[in-house]
Amino acid sequence: MTRILIAGCTLAAVVGLLAWRLLPDPLPAEWTSAQRALIQSLSLSRLPATPGDPSNAVAESELAARLGHRLYFDQRLSGNGEVACANCHQPQNYFTDDRTLAVGTQTGFRHTPSLVGLAYSPWFYWDGRKDSQWAQALAPIEAGHEHNLDRLQVVRLIAEDPLYKSQYEALFQPLPALPGAPRAASPLGDELLRRNWESLGTDLRQDINRVFANIGKTLAAYQRKIKPGRSRFDDYADSLTESSAVIPGSLLSKDELAGLALFIDQAQCISCHNGPLLTNFEFHNTGVLAIAGQLPPMGRYDGIRLARQDEFNCLGQYSDAEPGQCTELRFAKDDNELVGAHKTPTLRNITETAPYMHGGQIADLQAVMEHYNEAPTSMLSHNEAKPLALRPVQLRQLEAFMTTLTAPLQTEQKWLKPPDG
Amino acid sequence: MTLPTLRIFLLTGLFLWLPATNGWSQSATFSLTTSQGSRLEIFSRLNPLAINTIHSWELVLYTADGVPLNGAQMSVVGGMPDHDHGLPTSPVVTGEIAPGRYLLEGVRFHMPGRWLLTFDVTSAQGQESATLEFQL
Repeated sequence: MTRILIAGCTLAAVVGLLAWRLLPDPLPAEWTSAQRALIQSLSLSRLPATPGDPSNAVAESELAARLGHRLYFDQRLSGNGEVACANCHQPQNYFTDDRTLAVGTQTGFRHTPSLVGLAYSPWFYWDGRKDSQWAQALAPIEAGHEHNLDRLQVVRLIAEDPLYKSQYEALFQPLPALPGAPRAASPLGDELLRRNWESLGTDLRQDINRVFANIGKTLAAYQRKIKPGRSRFDDYADSLTESSAVIPGSLLSKDELAGLALFIDQAQCISCHNGPLLTNFEFHNTGVLAIAGQLPPMGRYDGIRLARQDEFNCLGQYSDAEPGQCTELRFAKDDNELVGAHKTPTLRNITETAPYMHGGQIADLQAVMEHYNEAPTSMLSHNEAKPLALRPVQLRQLEAFMTTLTAPLQTEQKWLKPPDG
Repeated sequence: MTLPTLRIFLLTGLFLWLPATNGWSQSATFSLTTSQGSRLEIFSRLNPLAINTIHSWELVLYTADGVPLNGAQMSVVGGMPDHDHGLPTSPVVTGEIAPGRYLLEGVRFHMPGRWLLTFDVTSAQGQESATLEFQL
């Protein structure tokens, strides 16, 4: 009799556990008006026109975009002749790579972020150490582990390639003459590069910096064209103008709808992944483990300090903006809340851009959901996220919802491959 | 019509009336009374208010007698108490654009939810403060 009782209790416990883990909650019959408004606010139909960049006078120039497009795919823009922007930001992979850490001339220190929709971001890099797309585009060119080139050689490349030279001079001032200048020079890099840079006169250094900045502006003009396309989710969100009933159908399945309901409410994803690009482009510490072999990074705490010091920032002499237009930089905060904080990435096409986080620390979406469900203690400062106590079936529903956000880019095909000729 | 049905009907009407179709955006005007009884009227230049856009507010101060309070020093701090974090930017009052009317630049909100902002005012009538709570 006792054995039967124990077996019965065990069976009930196992069935109960399985039900808890696997049985979904019923879907609500209707979205509330507040939920409907939240869902619609995520639709690409609500995405405003690409914001202007007052620091970049050629941001909207087609000629600048064509020059930037050619440079983007040009491996001569590297020390070893093998690295172009497109090596890591690959169009066929939504402008990311499949790697944990980026690989330029060497393995780098961060995971390659997607460039899709980045023209809407006020800050660049995972730690926001650049305040414009053009200033961002310059840094990898001179980073030893990325392109490993220097700004003087960039100027020489433009001057020595007839097509580049003609396009450049149609957009900007004539290129500076470089009589007697060394082959390579930069205020960054090794001792020889720095010594060469110091040997140049102040005016020539400024001329070189200006050409270098202009090259960044053309790369930005091209990258501004990289925009997400409408996904199943957008069609679903727009369909809610006609009905608020929660009905699984051809646009979203039952699990995807349940995931959406969690996304905007219990799972709190929408706190940071909000707006039509599913990111607030802000900086948050979410307790992600340090990158293997590296100390936990200071994130935005250091990033904003670097942005303020950057000679290519919005307030600098190479910016086309009036100081009053540099509101993000002027009113950026820099307090201790930013220790260990990294930029929220877009969730557009997220199923195609694994691995995840600033160091590619998390391999797949299932592990991402488990990470946020647990909200572990941060290695540095504090984790803003709190444990969610979601059931395994709910984590799978959230993951299912992520699949509704993937779609071909809105960008014209000609920009997604190297230029002809 | 039964009472519960009437309540649902009225509440639904209220929600439809609110500008909820713009996501979290809402009215961009607020009126507060400070700890000294002064009136602080707030006008967002981004109207309706929305997340993820940096913008400015105009802060208009009147004494308890309704006289514009000029020459004041103002500062603001704030954040989301439910999320244990502050504002994403450091807004600054950069000037008095008309007697008693101050320009607060660098305002941005990056999350939907409950926001709490405290305005500190130092003027000829001493120190006072006012707290604004609103939902985005």
